[in-house]
Amino acid sequence: MFITDIKKDFYEVVANQRVALLVAGDIDALCACKILQALFHCDHIQYTLVPVTGWQELGTAFLEHKEQFRYFVLINCGANVDLLEMLQPDDDSIFFICDTHRPVDVVNVYNDTQIKLLIKQDDDLAVPSYDEIFRDEDEENEDDSGNESDEGSEPSGKRRRFDEGAVERRIERQRARREWEARRKEILFDYEQYEYHGTSAAMMVFELAWVLTKDTKDMLWWAIVGLTDQWVHDKITHMKYVTDVATMQRHVSRHSHRNEDEENSLSIDCMRISFEYDLRLTLYQHWSLYESICNSCYTCCHFKLWTLNGQKKLQEYLADMGLPLKQVKQKFNSMDMSIKENLREVIEESSNKYGIKDIRIQTFGAQFGFKNRFLASDMVHAAAALLESTEKDESDTDNFIKALDSLSRSNLNRLLSGIDLAKKKLIAIQQTVASCICTNLILSQGPFLYCYLMEGTPDVKLFSKPMALSLLCKYLLKAFVHSTRNKRCKLLPLVMAAPKDVEKGTIIVVGIPPESETSDKKNFFGRAFEKAAESTGSRTLHDHFDTSVIELKTEDRIKFLDALITLLS
Amino acid sequence: MSETPRLTQFKNKGKDANELRRRRVEVNVELRKAKKDDQMFKRRNVAAAPEEATSPLQERTQNCQNSRQWTIEEIVSGLNSGSRESQLQATQAARKLLSREKHPPIDQMISAGLIPKFVAFLGLMDFPPIQFEASWALTNIASGTSDQTAAVVEGGAIPAFINLVTSPHLHISEQAVWALGNIAGDGSALRDRVIKHGAVAPLLSLLAVPDLNVFTPGFLRNVTWTLSNLCRNKNPSPPISAVQQVMPALIRLLHHDDREVLADACWAVSYLTDGSNDRIEIVAGTGLIPRLVKLLGFEELPVITPALRAIGNIVTGTDEQTQAVLDAGALFMFPKLLRHKKPNIQKEAAWTLSNITAGKDSQIQEVIDAGLVPYLVDLLVRADYKTQKEAVWAVTNFTSGGTVQQVVYLVQANVLEPLLNLLSSKDCKTVLVILDAITNIFLVSRYKIGESDKLSLMIEEFGGLDKIEALQAHENEMVYKAALNLIEKYFSEEEEVVQCVVPQATDHSYTFQISDDQSTFNF
Repeated sequence: MFITDIKKDFYEVVANQRVALLVAGDIDALCACKILQALFHCDHIQYTLVPVTGWQELGTAFLEHKEQFRYFVLINCGANVDLLEMLQPDDDSIFFICDTHRPVDVVNVYNDTQIKLLIKQDDDLAVPSYDEIFRDEDEENEDDSGNESDEGSEPSGKRRRFDEGAVERRIERQRARREWEARRKEILFDYEQYEYHGTSAAMMVFELAWVLTKDTKDMLWWAIVGLTDQWVHDKITHMKYVTDVATMQRHVSRHSHRNEDEENSLSIDCMRISFEYDLRLTLYQHWSLYESICNSCYTCCHFKLWTLNGQKKLQEYLADMGLPLKQVKQKFNSMDMSIKENLREVIEESSNKYGIKDIRIQTFGAQFGFKNRFLASDMVHAAAALLESTEKDESDTDNFIKALDSLSRSNLNRLLSGIDLAKKKLIAIQQTVASCICTNLILSQGPFLYCYLMEGTPDVKLFSKPMALSLLCKYLLKAFVHSTRNKRCKLLPLVMAAPKDVEKGTIIVVGIPPESETSDKKNFFGRAFEKAAESTGSRTLHDHFDTSVIELKTEDRIKFLDALITLLS
Repeated sequence: MSETPRLTQFKNKGKDANELRRRRVEVNVELRKAKKDDQMFKRRNVAAAPEEATSPLQERTQNCQNSRQWTIEEIVSGLNSGSRESQLQATQAARKLLSREKHPPIDQMISAGLIPKFVAFLGLMDFPPIQFEASWALTNIASGTSDQTAAVVEGGAIPAFINLVTSPHLHISEQAVWALGNIAGDGSALRDRVIKHGAVAPLLSLLAVPDLNVFTPGFLRNVTWTLSNLCRNKNPSPPISAVQQVMPALIRLLHHDDREVLADACWAVSYLTDGSNDRIEIVAGTGLIPRLVKLLGFEELPVITPALRAIGNIVTGTDEQTQAVLDAGALFMFPKLLRHKKPNIQKEAAWTLSNITAGKDSQIQEVIDAGLVPYLVDLLVRADYKTQKEAVWAVTNFTSGGTVQQVVYLVQANVLEPLLNLLSSKDCKTVLVILDAITNIFLVSRYKIGESDKLSLMIEEFGGLDKIEALQAHENEMVYKAALNLIEKYFSEEEEVVQCVVPQATDHSYTFQISDDQSTFNF
């Protein structure tokens, strides 16, 4: 069931209890977790934090903790499956689910006792009404368990003879029921067909903090980073992003208000959060402007920087802005102050000339001390790079903790190391995109585009991780749409596969919806993957919380793909 | 020669095949009984509208539209009135109350003392409408609990209904047959009372027509169902004389073309074969097995299920009875059954197969020749849990009764990996049975071919050794002992010594033919 009073029905329930906190591996979840941890510290609530990367781990984590814990808080996992069916918990385990995955499983919605959804109901949910999908058992006639449902079972020893009318009534009822079932199937199909994402978990938890009047600037910042993660990883529509930015902006001004007058002015060491209409250049404040332009999806695709012509155009563009190459190519921090002063305006003006209309975007920045300035997207890229780090053979849990740490102001070095990793990752993505486009690795399969990264491709290990591969997918599709002349291909979704585990012989497969500014970001590949796997008996693992990310045995790749084509044609 | 005592020593571990088989039957019966008890409370619907004078339309226009329901008191006073017409109306009103879907007032009718009245009406040969209404009312009372059925019997209904079976009015005859079916379906005791009162002869006389198609499907179905109830239930089973009397009619019904009649006839056969070997012999001796096998190949689930059950029951019998099933070509139906879309059919088919592999090695050979071993392995890999259990039994029986060559074939068909995987089953019985199979395979390899090293290696590679080792910590003592035994015998170092002592058996040169053409023998 949906929780309406988050304070009374959630926070006060767990207040004096021990809580198991199961957190999925995405940045929004980390941010929500941060806020919740801060609240729990505040109120001395004991909790155990368990990172979970997929359904299997979620199951294991539950089994390990179900004896000691009654309350489980699930962040960004659990909403889109029938959780009780999957975990088979005892009657007294209670699950609080704060998850952006949509659609929410109907059983989760209508279970009143064990499933509590920390999800805003005004989110575009469109849950079918109870009567459309459930029938109470009492309504059903006890005699109705008759011949058809149980075909082939032993005949009963005794039979009663019914009224003639009763026979007709029963036939009528069975017909009505069959109709109802067909309709139910249709409704559920429509409802479950597309996967998409709702309001950021971090924002939900921040709202809790606010309702409790325990919200701090750090919490606000995490909520913003959570929202920005949804934008960076392309989980929500532009519309939704702008709306939620506005919500966050109100909180930002509320928090800044207190420190406006002279008397209460804050020390420079305190954090200030400000709304920015900033450049869409990834990590540019921690890079050189030139490198950021080259490795940002938005600019790279516009100039088609993988072509010679594109490179030339970039030079022209820089010249048009009147920025000396030497300045542009040195560290942003060391650029002349005079250039930096109205840099954003200068860039915007030239960009407009070059048809790059949306070079600026509504976002937020945080500053503490003189030196430390970060945009929300910087945080997201850094934390994501740490979370999926493939640098050393460290466990998922280690990476999780590092990524979590990087979100705290006290771990500045961690954050900076994350930014370095993120740069490497972005460069790898851009290089892969360029090589895929230049060597025509993107094939049109009819109903969708397809790209397979072979074992041995540079940086292929990086793309065995779901977030990195999804990001690559998004960048690649955008680049492809800019480079192809085939109009039809511009409207196609993209399926991408990369080696996952060479020893086990598995690949990771991701599907993303078609690229367009007005895209509703609804993804049908989750269902399609399931069906394709089912029809071919492919050995797949649907372990990821996003159903559009699966693992597949390498040998089954071809038949799986064929089935997918047939299914979607 | 010297092999024979050794065979009995290890193959069945002191239990002969028959005993093994009997135990299997009992397990199944227990399960079935549990299921049947469930069903007693879920009474079955009538599918077809009954065929009799009063059409539903008529009734509705006459009095259904504003038919208020009668109270019990009104019915009682109607029945007590002298007028035949109001007695008929009261009986009809009672019948209607008893025919409504929810909560028919059976107990109220009984305590109002209506049963003797209805039974008396059954005898009014000159007033058929009231015979019909009373029959229907009593049928529905008898469809209730055992106590309610007993009340009908105590009212003297059995002989009265038997008289009506031969009524010239077909709809009355049908209703009487139905009522007798309800009474006989209550259990062994009432079934035998119905038989003692001489119900069988008139029932069979109904079928004494050249062409069964003169009857409506509903009529024939009711007769078949009632006959099947006369064959049903054990402890005791129905009297042998009655069974012999019914058999010819049953065989005739088995050749009828109505699906539901076929299904009920098959169920009757399955009840009759669910018993001791001499019971099986009565059925098998009539030569109906080929027809049963043919029915196995039907598409309709309601026919396949009881036909398979009957076949499955027959192969729990003697080797000769089993052979009759094999001779009828039953095994060629099994590829379809073992891959049937209903898990229950798969399970029953695997159960049947397990009893065939518990037979003679020539019978095991027939299973191999029919190409069923790969299907069996497939079940071990992917069937549902209950089916896997049956498949495990089939494998274990195979390994205990098969020749060396046959067991070698089984191993080559990749049975080991899925079998070992099932060692992680929660059910200790299954685990024990698997451990038995592994022991059997080892014994074959050790005494006959000296290949136990290779076998140990294979088991280790499939992760079986880890599983067996883990079983040493099992809470069940038998499992623990069996696992320990295996480890000590085959997975510790001393075995080299033992192997040197064992001479290579020369009287089994055929076992080496396989190794000859593969240079080294390979499972």
